[in-house]
Amino acid sequence: MVQVSTTSTPLLRARGVVKRYGGLAAVDGVDFDVFEGETFGIAGPNGAGKTTLFDVVTGITSATDGVIEFAGEPIQDATVHDICHRGISRTFQLPSVFDSQTALANVLVGAQFGQPRSWFTAGRTDADMLDRAKRELIFVGLAKKASALGGPLPVYDKKRLMIASALATQPRMLFLDEPFGGLSPSEVDELMVLLSKVKERGITIVLIEHVMRALMALSDRVLIMNQGKTLFQGSPADVLRDEEVVRVYLGRRGDREEGAPDA
Amino acid sequence: MNAILQTLVSTIVQGSILALISIGMTLVYGTLRVLNMAQGVMVMVGGFAAYTVVDRTGVSPWISIAVAAAVTFLLGVLTYYMAVKPLLGRPGVDFEMTAFITTFAVATIVQNIILMIYGPRQKPFDPLWPGGINITSEVSITYHSMIMAVLAVGALVALGLFLSRSRYGLAITAVAQNLDAARLMGIPARRVYVVTMGIAAALAGIAGVLLAPLYFVYPNAGDLPLLQALIVVIFAGLGSVKGTIYASYIIGFLSSAVAIFWSSAFALPVLYIVILVVLVVRPNGIAGKPQEARL
Repeated sequence: MVQVSTTSTPLLRARGVVKRYGGLAAVDGVDFDVFEGETFGIAGPNGAGKTTLFDVVTGITSATDGVIEFAGEPIQDATVHDICHRGISRTFQLPSVFDSQTALANVLVGAQFGQPRSWFTAGRTDADMLDRAKRELIFVGLAKKASALGGPLPVYDKKRLMIASALATQPRMLFLDEPFGGLSPSEVDELMVLLSKVKERGITIVLIEHVMRALMALSDRVLIMNQGKTLFQGSPADVLRDEEVVRVYLGRRGDREEGAPDA
Repeated sequence: MNAILQTLVSTIVQGSILALISIGMTLVYGTLRVLNMAQGVMVMVGGFAAYTVVDRTGVSPWISIAVAAAVTFLLGVLTYYMAVKPLLGRPGVDFEMTAFITTFAVATIVQNIILMIYGPRQKPFDPLWPGGINITSEVSITYHSMIMAVLAVGALVALGLFLSRSRYGLAITAVAQNLDAARLMGIPARRVYVVTMGIAAALAGIAGVLLAPLYFVYPNAGDLPLLQALIVVIFAGLGSVKGTIYASYIIGFLSSAVAIFWSSAFALPVLYIVILVVLVVRPNGIAGKPQEARL
């Protein structure tokens, strides 16, 4: 199912992606491919340009240079909602939900607007949309909090709510920006189970993560960024053997012994 | 006793109309972060649109309400394309401040075009329903005032249902509270902006028709409504729908009370003193909220 063949056409193909803010290149010529069905991990020190890369791919900010292709079509100049309609969805590093709306209504936004539909059809309580929203809430384990307001929910619930909303848009590809950040060890375990279930649904995942345990366990391939550039790209097992990655990002050998991946 | 009753009636009528005009500014500020200075001319244009169709075609003033709403909706959309859209997403532009000025420019242009076409004279507009009833021997209420209050409240309830029950309403709320998340879930933000500005203008246009029999139709008819709406939305806390409704009735009560117990000449100065005190004590207004909780 998650058999990855590097000879097939990638679902997402990025070549020479650059994002410059004035004189600062936050992303400085990054190339990578993500194949259908795989989980692609991105890590690197703070300020390496990981979130900026997400922003560029999802259209939140436009690339200064480079080509991004999704399913063979260039998307670097597409609008945010168009990119969503094509099948890319994402969550944010900081929990970001619609505060005054219930959890169900939050997911409903994704269900209602995630697919390109005629703007004049369907009300808020469209039965199919409502069903899909409820299914995704159950999927992430928030069924009991369907009528709780989004704003006061705890961090873990907000993170799962973001995932449910993103899934409700029926994406082919899900971008997760530090989904494990700020979670307790038991919540990390739970979320890892949830994300493998997302993977089983055939959704391609790209995730930024500092929690190496989770990153190594979930990722089929890993991209390590530093100062906007690619430092390393390869299998999770090779990451730990790469001298440069260890020096720049992971720290001295031994520092991380107890956090070593179980992969 | 009569004065108190009179104040009460006046509060309901004035507050409802104020809410109808101000809620549009709140919606636009909530979704676009633009303090829409063209809201006043929408009141004026609504009055002129109704006056024109009634004068030329002799249709019932009731039908003219729909015409006014349609005309001002289109003018609101046009304002978006002329004054707001060109500024969106431009790096290095202070969007809020610039859009404040460009919408004011649109207001001035529209006002002068109306002045050129219709001249400065005040045009009379018949009440939607002539006559009235005496509540006591000294307190009377015109049928038109009753219609004003009923229609304004009706429009606000319809807006509330639209925001909480419809697909568009959900999109407007989502964009107001979390623009990036809303766009990433597939909401075309710019289409939401257009619709919001159209609706805001149409509500003001309806208010313009309701106000026309009281204040006549003339090119400056939108000046006072704009000033009052500004006081209401700042008093309410920019971007809060509930706050705007409360503030409308509080401001409506204050100006009615001052006018009835003292003199109508002091109504506006007193309002400014109140707003000054409120803002010094609560700089975000009575229901002002941080960005993420808007609408």
